[in-house]
Amino acid sequence: MTDQHEVGPGSDVSGPTSWSIHLNDVSVTYPNGTTALRNVSLDIPAGEMVSIVGLSGSGKSTLIRVMNGLVPVTTGTVAVGPHEVTHLRGRQLRQLRGHIGMIFQGFNLAERTSVFRNVMVGRFADTPTYRTLLGVSSERDRDLVFAGLDSVGMLDKVWTRASDLSGGQKQRVAIARALAQGPSVMLADEPVASLDPPTAHSVMNDLRHINGERGLTVLVNLHLIDLAQQYTTRMIGLRAGEIVFDGPAAEATESNFEHIYGRPIKSNDKLAN
Amino acid sequence: MTDTAPTVWELPPKPTNRARIALIIGAIATFTTLTCLPAIGGVELDFASLVDNWRNGARLGREFIQPDLSFLPRTYRPMLETLQMAVVGAGVAAVLSVPLTLWAARQTNPRLATRQPVRFTINVVRAVPDLVYATVLVAVIGVGPLPGLITLILFDIGIVVKLVSEAIDAGEHPYMEAGMAAGGTQVQVNRGVVLAQSWPFFTNQWLYVLELNVRISAILGVVGAGGIGRLISERRAFFAYDDVGAIVFEILVVVIVIELFSNLVRRRLT
Repeated sequence: MTDQHEVGPGSDVSGPTSWSIHLNDVSVTYPNGTTALRNVSLDIPAGEMVSIVGLSGSGKSTLIRVMNGLVPVTTGTVAVGPHEVTHLRGRQLRQLRGHIGMIFQGFNLAERTSVFRNVMVGRFADTPTYRTLLGVSSERDRDLVFAGLDSVGMLDKVWTRASDLSGGQKQRVAIARALAQGPSVMLADEPVASLDPPTAHSVMNDLRHINGERGLTVLVNLHLIDLAQQYTTRMIGLRAGEIVFDGPAAEATESNFEHIYGRPIKSNDKLAN
Repeated sequence: MTDTAPTVWELPPKPTNRARIALIIGAIATFTTLTCLPAIGGVELDFASLVDNWRNGARLGREFIQPDLSFLPRTYRPMLETLQMAVVGAGVAAVLSVPLTLWAARQTNPRLATRQPVRFTINVVRAVPDLVYATVLVAVIGVGPLPGLITLILFDIGIVVKLVSEAIDAGEHPYMEAGMAAGGTQVQVNRGVVLAQSWPFFTNQWLYVLELNVRISAILGVVGAGGIGRLISERRAFFAYDDVGAIVFEILVVVIVIELFSNLVRRRLT
């Protein structure tokens, strides 16, 4: 499972525009009293490839989820592209989410159904509910699904049951699902934490190509410092819900990481030991 | 080989729940005893009659285990009616159970305002015994298979919706978050992925209620709700226990065949 492939051109169907992201003094406190983010302000210009680094529990997942409204902010404002996420409800919020692709650590596929139907999930925001209910898809939706799969080299698995895929293949299907949205922003929550090192690199490569060739803004949560340095240009360090580092990923030093992690760097903080 | 002394582990004291078990057993025993004391309103169990009347039972049993198989041809039509009721009932209930189940599960319907009424209605439907439905519906609609069919549908929906919605709620559904993140409505997510993912829960319960339906619809005829039960109650009224034996034997065969079939289907499900 180390086959290399390119997220090639020709899959750019709708010509999405890239969006910037602005967080202004965002705090999130969950109903159980846990404060996940404290007064986070952040400006990410369109087209940047950013990693968010921190230990588990540092607020990485929350930070990424306030951007598409999966987690509502307690105070502060979040703007993605032309939209003020914090003010959106219902239909408008779903429309915004349609412009933001997201992939997850656990791939989040419906394992008992086909790759095709999983990627079709990426078309939900642009599909009237009655059409989904009837199970009919438009020619354009199918084209976008096939294009998404093609650009991650998974077109030959389109009718395969998701449970029959390997971990790396599942994550690529998840990327195809996000690409089928025709997104302007790509969020990735620990996308390689469940993958073996070679597969992790190939998935990171896919994300880099999405950023490079489509010009999408890409945010990746990572806890492995060498991946962050190798694949992203800007790195944001989170510790206990606060930004403790923000700068070029390549220039981050060992002591920067020790500050982010609040302890000496260990060998398993890197993918390549 | 020298004999080494067994290691003595310094363990924390093992938690014991003997007191609790004793309490539970005591409570059950007391409750059982009390409910069997007629003096304080318990049920009257006349064990003596068991001894007095065992001859009756023996004679009856003798006829019963010598079923009059020549009676069978007369049972085919009512048996077919029973099977039709069972299959049609399970089929209609299967179709209706899908939206109701997704409505009743918390994970597929986070809105309390629409979930709670469905759950409440289903609980009420489940609380009424099937024979009560049949009796009332026969009084309303009249004698025949229709009240029986409606009884089965209500009974099946109660079971399927409760069991499958609980199974859905007990599971983890990370793919739902992906559907929400992609901008889907709850209905789209339910239809697009949850349904595909919950298919085995549904089919399992559908097959189960199909088995139950054969058994129940065999009895429903006793109150006039169609099927082979009418024949059972008729032959029993004539004390023709050899005929009743034949019918029971037939039901046994049908139930076993249906179970074999559903086991076969179940094994193919994952």
